[in-house]
Amino acid sequence: MAWLVVRLAISLSLLYTASAVFEDQVGKFDWREQFIGKVRFALFDTHSQASKKLLVATDKNVFASLNSRTGDLFWRHVDKTGPEGHIDALLMYGQDAVVVVGNGRLLRSWETTVGGLKWEAVLDTGSFQAAALIGVQDFVKYVAVLKKSAISLHDLSSGSQIWVENLPDSDTVQYQTIYSGGNGLVFVLGFVPSSHIVIVEYKIEDGEIMKKKSVEAAWMSSLENSCAVISSGNLLCVDQITQSLYTLPLQSAEHTEMRQIHLQTLDLEVASGFQPVLTSTQPNPAQPPLAEFFLQLSPDHHILLQLKDDLIAPLRDFNPSYLAAFATSGEKTVAAVMTPKNDTVSHISKTLFLKKVFLCIYLYCNGLFFLLKACSINLFSADTGRRHLDTTIIYHMDPNGGKPNRLYVHAFLKKDDSVGYRVMVQTEDLTLTFLQQPGRVVWMREEALADVVTMEMVDLPLTGTQAELEGEFGKKADGLLPMVLKRLSSQFILLQAWMAHLWKLFYDARKPRSSVKNEVTIDTLSRDEFNLQKMMVMVTASGKLFGIDSKSGTVLWKQYLEDIQPNSIFKLIVQRTTAHFPHPPQCTLLIKDKDTGLGSLYVFNPIFGKKSHISVPALPRPVLQTLLLPVIDQDYAKVLLLIDDQYKVTAFPSTKNVLQQLQDTASSVFFYLVDSSQGKLSGFRLRMDLSTELIWEVVIPTEVQKIVAVKGKRANEHVHSQGRVMGDRSVLYKYLNPNLLAVITESTDMHQERSFVGIFLIDGVTGRIVHEAVQRKARGPVHFVHSENWLVYVYWNSKFRRNEFSVLELFEGAELYNSTVFSSLDRPHPPQVLQQSYIFPAPISTLEATLTEKGITSRHLLVGMPSGNILSLPKMFLDPRRPELISEQSREENLIPYAPEMPIRTEWFINYNQTVSRVRGIYTAPSGLESTCLVVVYGLDIYQTRVFPSKQFDVLKDDYDYILISSVLFGLFFATMISKRLAEVKLLNRAWR
Amino acid sequence: METRVGSRACACVALLLFALHASLGHEHIKLQEDEETAEELKLRAPEGDVRVQVSGRALVPGVRTQDWVAHARVLLDGDTHVGFIREDGGFSVSDVPSGSYVLEISSPTYRFQPVRVDITATGKMRARVVDYIRTSEVIRLPYPLQMRCLGLHSYFIQRETWIWSDFLMNPMVLMMVLPLLIIVLLPKVMNSSDPEMKREMEQSMNMLNSNQDLPDVSEIVTRFFSPPKSHGRAGGGARASVGVAQGVRGGASSVRGGAPRRRSKINTAVTSSE
Repeated sequence: MAWLVVRLAISLSLLYTASAVFEDQVGKFDWREQFIGKVRFALFDTHSQASKKLLVATDKNVFASLNSRTGDLFWRHVDKTGPEGHIDALLMYGQDAVVVVGNGRLLRSWETTVGGLKWEAVLDTGSFQAAALIGVQDFVKYVAVLKKSAISLHDLSSGSQIWVENLPDSDTVQYQTIYSGGNGLVFVLGFVPSSHIVIVEYKIEDGEIMKKKSVEAAWMSSLENSCAVISSGNLLCVDQITQSLYTLPLQSAEHTEMRQIHLQTLDLEVASGFQPVLTSTQPNPAQPPLAEFFLQLSPDHHILLQLKDDLIAPLRDFNPSYLAAFATSGEKTVAAVMTPKNDTVSHISKTLFLKKVFLCIYLYCNGLFFLLKACSINLFSADTGRRHLDTTIIYHMDPNGGKPNRLYVHAFLKKDDSVGYRVMVQTEDLTLTFLQQPGRVVWMREEALADVVTMEMVDLPLTGTQAELEGEFGKKADGLLPMVLKRLSSQFILLQAWMAHLWKLFYDARKPRSSVKNEVTIDTLSRDEFNLQKMMVMVTASGKLFGIDSKSGTVLWKQYLEDIQPNSIFKLIVQRTTAHFPHPPQCTLLIKDKDTGLGSLYVFNPIFGKKSHISVPALPRPVLQTLLLPVIDQDYAKVLLLIDDQYKVTAFPSTKNVLQQLQDTASSVFFYLVDSSQGKLSGFRLRMDLSTELIWEVVIPTEVQKIVAVKGKRANEHVHSQGRVMGDRSVLYKYLNPNLLAVITESTDMHQERSFVGIFLIDGVTGRIVHEAVQRKARGPVHFVHSENWLVYVYWNSKFRRNEFSVLELFEGAELYNSTVFSSLDRPHPPQVLQQSYIFPAPISTLEATLTEKGITSRHLLVGMPSGNILSLPKMFLDPRRPELISEQSREENLIPYAPEMPIRTEWFINYNQTVSRVRGIYTAPSGLESTCLVVVYGLDIYQTRVFPSKQFDVLKDDYDYILISSVLFGLFFATMISKRLAEVKLLNRAWR
Repeated sequence: METRVGSRACACVALLLFALHASLGHEHIKLQEDEETAEELKLRAPEGDVRVQVSGRALVPGVRTQDWVAHARVLLDGDTHVGFIREDGGFSVSDVPSGSYVLEISSPTYRFQPVRVDITATGKMRARVVDYIRTSEVIRLPYPLQMRCLGLHSYFIQRETWIWSDFLMNPMVLMMVLPLLIIVLLPKVMNSSDPEMKREMEQSMNMLNSNQDLPDVSEIVTRFFSPPKSHGRAGGGARASVGVAQGVRGGASSVRGGAPRRRSKINTAVTSSE
């Protein structure tokens, strides 16, 4: 109870200093974008015509409902990460969606209108194979789940298990598919590789095995893609090696062998090396599937076939065609096929012949690729293969995007009973495009942004007028008069711009609000007066780069880098900012393969997203470390050093000028390498000839502990005050070592009594261990922030089962050894280290500190929590000098008395109810205002906001009462006038008396 | 980077804490590695293959469950185990291995108290109040869990709005306005009363006014606001006190540079009378 009071008192005392959001600030400078990830299953709600629902299940273990008219989320359920939350199957019937989760562990049924869970059933363990809805007499009542060794049937309305049966010979037979035609039987299909197919027939009511038969199939290698059930229980398989189709009626007892149909008899041939794919459709689970099916013979060749009277007849050949899909509306089933648009090809080739060569080259660079990649989607009737008239959708592929790889079709009946349709196309770069006729993009989602790996914020370029003004200061003085004239002219330009702005405001004010839209485009981008609007350059795991306007969240440019390995590591480096007009800003992305370590560089302009045509050094050896030096070349680009596994250094850019400068500064360039597999940290120095020499080495034995993270300080961080003024007016100087590295280790012994977390503070130049701390009975994951003279880290206390914060602060003492320059080589006195720990009563997913332009503003820690909230915790609470006993001096210093538990107030959540799912990282950047720090939180969602750790002390508040102040001023003015007049009258009267 | 208000408040709290500290004595719990015998050590038995289902019911009074369950999740120890809430408010988290977990319901709108769930190696379960400081203390809660909403999250702080009533009710303003009213209104009341009473009043005022060197502001203001014709009538009555307050008034008039001529006239009158 007493502690409660203390806590309350402390939190009350800090109410004034901590930042919080006002209700009217909602959406003013913050925005959130919600994502779902790569779509694995997508189903349109065809239950009713007016339904706008699109149900999706993704590889991020997200199950969501999208509004198919706008692309917005109706609701979204984010499950656990990893295989335990993996969505294996999505089935939909009426208003209910059934999802199989976690390798067949859970079966969930969702009500799709509001997104509520109807029931959840836990299934037996066993690897999941297939799931299907089972209908009885035109009515879908059950869902069947096939595992490796068992099949179970569940009631669709309650989730209760009807029966579960073990599959016969499950150790030899691989059961893979399940089929039911609505006739009271469930077929389970399995096979023994290169031997035979097994068909087991179950009765729906009690799970009794009705029949079991095996059919010879020596060619069989997989059931899943190469087989399909069509037309009232005919199993159809395709084999690439024998180039034939095989059919078998499932129910008939007399057939003991599959009927072989050579593809040659149909004039077909499977492309070499391509596994042919069969696609059938079963519009209603209570009815047998249709007799028509697609056979994909090569990546761009589909054919629509029909099985009729045991004969297979081709209905239509689609060559070339990229994608094909079935869709059903009411009684009609249609097939949509995406084909390359033919006329554009011929058009281009004509242009190529007619126009001159240079134009051709120009077209080739800019237009040809784009135009050739326009596709048309057409609708065909499934039962005849006839093309529906006026159903073409033209799909223009993004020239900076990837190829389409999935097609989802939403067919609906129009008023005149013809079939209309819309399509959703998913591309390799995870863009979802929703199109309607004749090719209008209804909405677009960039799902690659669900997996942002790293990001940077780049200042926007100045406008022409601003650049004009700035340019005035940079140039050398050429006499008084020209200077004055120049100033006058630039001021005049400014005035002109201001007038134009006013005119625009006036003009817009007359228009209705809806039509006024401040569209942000690349051309109108310019820096605002406080540099609050920046360009967010985001790198995603799929290899797509984005440029996003930080003010509105609009994607301004995107670039898909093809042939990126899925397990690549990315490092984004800003080599030149926008400050060096007319040189364009320059970003470099280092793409490194996780396994081989081989890397490549991609250089681009972060504002426009265009690739720079700068020659990039080839990196034949694995890159171990990168280093951005403050050395700049004649084009103002900072020099990037890349160190390979033979400790050779490659400089980029490597002009003569740069090499010269590097030779001059080589003796003061040090870098470190971490080898966590051997537990080795080593320091190197650059030599004049760009080779390196080993200076120090610290070995942390891997038998006991392993290095989990090494972090230096941020290069763009400023520390405003050199020390802290104590209560007795003396100064405690901070130990501000820019070369300090924080090394976090975790014990290999994970037993909760013996596990520990180790913290080493190592000077990166000399290799001296400045401080060493061990947190016993603790384990990771450790999140930490290393800044100024402090290190804050969070670990899990396994004894008390709680998260704990610990803060280390380093001080030089009452005197500075060398106050002008810090040198790691000349520091005889070790720093004083203070430490304190606190309980954090919530789980943590990430940790970052705010950053401001000059470092005057107090610091806050931004704590990302699994619940999706971002807590802004004042660094004041993490001060190792918090006293246990309050003295006069501590009061003078404004130290909060020590309390073991850290307060969490919902007012400190900077993102109020805009929760960010699966926070992966927080990026902070200073703005032009000292009080303001820009924050981007990324994970499954992206959230951008501004925080004011010490409140907005350098600008007028949002709620500044202009009316009050002006009314008071006017009131006073008039009062003065009136009283002056009265006084005059009075004087006059008195004079007359 | 602190505001003055903050530092003052902090100082106040510091005093408060000091008082509390004495009463706390050795109960002070520190985050140090002190050897404490935890009662539930047996709970930390090596993790077996026991996997249980944690279930319960969440309730937001007065709100239909469909309206909030779609945005809520059940989280065990962060997001190591995730569960969803059914349309009837019930929830279950499956496949939880033995151990001790903090179960919380994460909803962007509604606030719930987290609960600690202990699962033994044999799969037995109990729920208790979360206490991060005294981790061994057991205050049992019912199982299956009953999670009741404690209210809405308060994410926003109120703006300091400027309202007339607030301004007027401010003690500083009250302290200034009330005397002003008295000063303005009192002479009017006095005018109608007889000069005897007034003299009495002034005498008592002089009694109160012990410090003679300070300017008597009230008197100056009274004189300033009282209508000029009253001087003619009450002149004789006022004279006795004028002599006492003379120096004061002189000083005051010099301070108030542009004082009305009327007062200087009185001053001269006083000097002539002496």
